[in-house]
Amino acid sequence: MTGPPAEPLRPLPVPDELSAPYWDAAARHRLAVARCSRCGTFAHPPDVVCQACGTSDPEFRFTEVSGRGRVRSWTVMHQSFLPGFRADLPYVLVDVELVEQADLRLIGRLLDGPDAPLGLGSEVHVAFEDVTPEVSVPAFVLTAGADS
Amino acid sequence: MSGTMAARNKVVIAGYAHSQVERHSDQQLGSMAVDTARRAIADAGLDAVDGFVTGALFPTSGSHAAEDGISLVTANWLAEHLGINPRYAAGFQGFGQIPGSVTMAVNAVASGAADYVLLHRALHNPKGKYHENTMRDARGSQQWTVPQGYFGPLAMIALPYQEYIQRYGATREAMAQVLVEARKNGARLPWSHWYGQPLTAEEYLAAPFISDPICRYDCDIPVDGVAAFVFTTAERAKDLPNQPVYVSGFGMGAPVTRRTPVHWPLDDIMGVGEETARRLWESSGIGPGDVDLPQVYDGFSPFVYFWLECLGLCPKGEAHRFVLDGQIDSDRPGAIPALSSGGALGNGRMHGVPQMLECYLQLSGRAGERQRQGVNVGVACHSSPHFGGAVVYTNTPTRR
Repeated sequence: MTGPPAEPLRPLPVPDELSAPYWDAAARHRLAVARCSRCGTFAHPPDVVCQACGTSDPEFRFTEVSGRGRVRSWTVMHQSFLPGFRADLPYVLVDVELVEQADLRLIGRLLDGPDAPLGLGSEVHVAFEDVTPEVSVPAFVLTAGADS
Repeated sequence: MSGTMAARNKVVIAGYAHSQVERHSDQQLGSMAVDTARRAIADAGLDAVDGFVTGALFPTSGSHAAEDGISLVTANWLAEHLGINPRYAAGFQGFGQIPGSVTMAVNAVASGAADYVLLHRALHNPKGKYHENTMRDARGSQQWTVPQGYFGPLAMIALPYQEYIQRYGATREAMAQVLVEARKNGARLPWSHWYGQPLTAEEYLAAPFISDPICRYDCDIPVDGVAAFVFTTAERAKDLPNQPVYVSGFGMGAPVTRRTPVHWPLDDIMGVGEETARRLWESSGIGPGDVDLPQVYDGFSPFVYFWLECLGLCPKGEAHRFVLDGQIDSDRPGAIPALSSGGALGNGRMHGVPQMLECYLQLSGRAGERQRQGVNVGVACHSSPHFGGAVVYTNTPTRR
């Protein structure tokens, strides 16, 4: 006996040499952002050259951050080109500027639901979706009681 | 370092051809490209060309094979299938494939790398969903956004558009007028996918969101289509049949701020876009007030606002009111005919072809019933202002 076809699964991150500490921290429900060992500037995403000091050997270290930030923009997804997200529709994505550094931006899901009251500057903090027993993906929730 | 274009008005467009734009053509893309190229060469009064340029990108996020001659057509493929051993064949790899490949055509002609350069653009709509991607593993740069459900160009444009709406109070009624204008003009073009099919504001407003605030009408519809243009020197064009259209300048650019994939914040778009416009005016020696025919890019409707503002055709944050006031209505005397080409929204996903074609047709006096009077300078934009560019064309190179 066969059941209904399984829902397509969400794409999962494939950690690499550079990103492994990010995903290790996420699995522990911690947000860690790459930081240049030469000048201390955060970089997301990390790359081969530090944008702040120009070193081609930034030896990025993933440093735990507060996870707090402000919403710069958002979209409510009613369709996704990734079939694995269909079961989650509609869902909200937020473009968040972290408090640690100007213009340090992360995009993630807002887990408060599609009708969450959002505005430019709404305060959010990091939360995690446990997508599999091993993989957690950073997301955000509105910070309760914050004026936005 | 001078930003003035050294070859200003020395290279011209001497002829063109454009295929029908269809959702799915019966003809294979490469075959359509060969036919269109032959027609363009003949239109320019030539038997052959010796140079080829394109930006061949197959602009889909979906799980589709990119195969030369099938889903895209490179410069070398086209030369080979026309039976020409080219003196020069090259592809533009950046964003803004039309201005990018126009600069390559001009460079090739001005330097003498080739005497007659064919620029083509071939766009394909594959079977199946255009942007759907079944990837299971998010590797490399994709790992920063795909596991979060952020993927594809609709979410990409939704974020800066939402930022614009929130910052400047833009309404959906204003954007409806962008679509009404694009589709009104597209409906007049016999080759357009939307020929005879204008859109009403009510239809626009009734469309559900896909990636709020983006609905399907804000996106150009994927199509099969090919355009080709022949470039040569102004000197050689004197012996050719068509009124030449001169290339007066370029402005291009790309952001240096590192972002995760398809993350285009509004300030990136406008900041780099204003520099792109500055380069355009410096290169061409003109300013926004000299342009009779600004053709803004509209592959996604918010780009219309961004280009109008970056080019200085209206104040920053005001494009939505400008549009709502009828200031881009191509039938209204004194308004700016910014979408008289129909754009990508009114033709189908032909990238920056409609904008370039409108400049060529109007400035060469070949626009037929749609011919506008007294147009001497056009600007054809493509892609985002911060990740693309624009070209200035004229039919009166001696005016300045």
